[in-house]
Amino acid sequence: MMKNMWRLTPLTLALAAFGVQAQAGGDSAFSFSGFATLGLVATNTNLAQYAIAGQPRGADKSVSGEVDSKVGIQLTAKANSMFSGTVQVLSKQNGDGNFRPELEWAFAKAQILPSLAVRLGRMGAPFFAVSDFRDVGYANTGLRPPADVYGQVPISQFDGIDVTYHTSVGSSSLTAQLFGGKTKVIFTGAEIKYDKIIGVNASLELDGGITLRLGHVQGKLSVVSAQLSGLVGVLRATPFASVGNELDLTKKNASFTGIGAAYDAGNLIVNAEYTMRRTESYVSDTNGWYGTVGYRVNKFTPYLTISQVKFVSGNVNNTIPAGVPPLAALKGGVDAILANQVLNQKTTALGVRWDAYRNIALKAQVERVKPDGNGMFIKVKPGSGFGTNGMSVNVYSVAVDTVF
Amino acid sequence: MKKNTSILKPALLIGALSLVGAVHAQVAVVVGAKSPTATMTADQVAGIFLGKSSTLPGGATAAAVDQSESAAIREQFYTKVTGKQAAQVKAAWSRLVFSGKGTPPKEMASSADVKKFLAGNPDAIGYIEKSAVDATVKVVLSVD
Repeated sequence: MMKNMWRLTPLTLALAAFGVQAQAGGDSAFSFSGFATLGLVATNTNLAQYAIAGQPRGADKSVSGEVDSKVGIQLTAKANSMFSGTVQVLSKQNGDGNFRPELEWAFAKAQILPSLAVRLGRMGAPFFAVSDFRDVGYANTGLRPPADVYGQVPISQFDGIDVTYHTSVGSSSLTAQLFGGKTKVIFTGAEIKYDKIIGVNASLELDGGITLRLGHVQGKLSVVSAQLSGLVGVLRATPFASVGNELDLTKKNASFTGIGAAYDAGNLIVNAEYTMRRTESYVSDTNGWYGTVGYRVNKFTPYLTISQVKFVSGNVNNTIPAGVPPLAALKGGVDAILANQVLNQKTTALGVRWDAYRNIALKAQVERVKPDGNGMFIKVKPGSGFGTNGMSVNVYSVAVDTVF
Repeated sequence: MKKNTSILKPALLIGALSLVGAVHAQVAVVVGAKSPTATMTADQVAGIFLGKSSTLPGGATAAAVDQSESAAIREQFYTKVTGKQAAQVKAAWSRLVFSGKGTPPKEMASSADVKKFLAGNPDAIGYIEKSAVDATVKVVLSVD
């Protein structure tokens, strides 16, 4: 019951905001907008697939239009200068592998003061510098946010509340956001829950086109998996209960911290982020960073992005001894889970954005991805040697982005 | 044949002149005649039209109005006052719209419509050709 009510809350709130709008006259207004990307990706290998974190289907030597293609529509209803409601519906390849449109946002907003706003409902999870508009290709220089960094946390929205304070002095401005709530996401078929989220997201925009950003979020992470609970249950009945406890992913602390800097003035664009994923479970601790440099030449913006994700810790100490036949299967099962969490990958991407028409951008990008292990790739063919001996994968992408 | 070309010439010349005129039209950033705002800097105006700031120098929430995307004055306003190309402005607004932080200025069909809107709202701000300035509006910033 409680669960159902919570699920209904964002939509109810947004509808309530529309209800207020319907009664208000005068300066009330609806605004409708949308974005879409048609993207094609192919790689030079059939040993694994390239996908955005969470997607069960990716690209290999045969071209895939399912990795980057998406469409979103957004409706904002303004009741008056204080209250508004926003709904965004997004269709992209989700964790179940289909394009079923999902309610990405549904929040009511109260602009209490020109400098202070409160939102309630479902809203974008501001874990990264470009969290909110990461799916809006047109709003970004690159073809897609660097997977080595953005792939670490596949959460894009949460249900809860946020408070945003904005102040400006001269041409500098500070925006500070505090947020709290909960969310769940389907990651390649498995349900992941992130509860008791509390976080901060602050950005300082300085004179001369420099923006600095700091973000931190913490909460309790859980995964709904019968297979995992089964393994944990068995381990807890053995002398290796500690391994089971460490492996268990039920309301375990998990945090994500990021710092970023951006420069956009004249024709030069620079973006960089450094991020840290930390958990107290088998989901590994990782660090990810990227740097992008772009230069505008009329309607063309060539850019170079270098990114990396590095495994820091597996958090689970597999103390089950090797070479004991009755324990081999158990040890192997734990090792397989831990091995899957070793995330090491480095990418060099070269691309160009062409502002072809007033609301259309065309992009092309070539990436050289060096996974050490599986990296961010999915459906890796076992025993194929993928991710060993310094091998690399070329990824070719083209996209048409529009906003309307 | 020769006669025909000479007849065409003045028309071509006028056409060419008016094109030159359009390219170099001066931009006037304007508020309603009854607005308390007197003058503004290019940074202040750019802040409002790029969605970085929502308030006028007096502290009131600004109601900014744009010209249509095909209007020559729009391109000139953004190039001269904000230093950004149309695509950059569009990308900047799409970042705000799709992070739920703002909605772009309302589009008006003509400078006459801009003036009409300003007359009815003391917090409104827009831009028109300098030649279109009349007693109903007050110029807060003028750019050549």
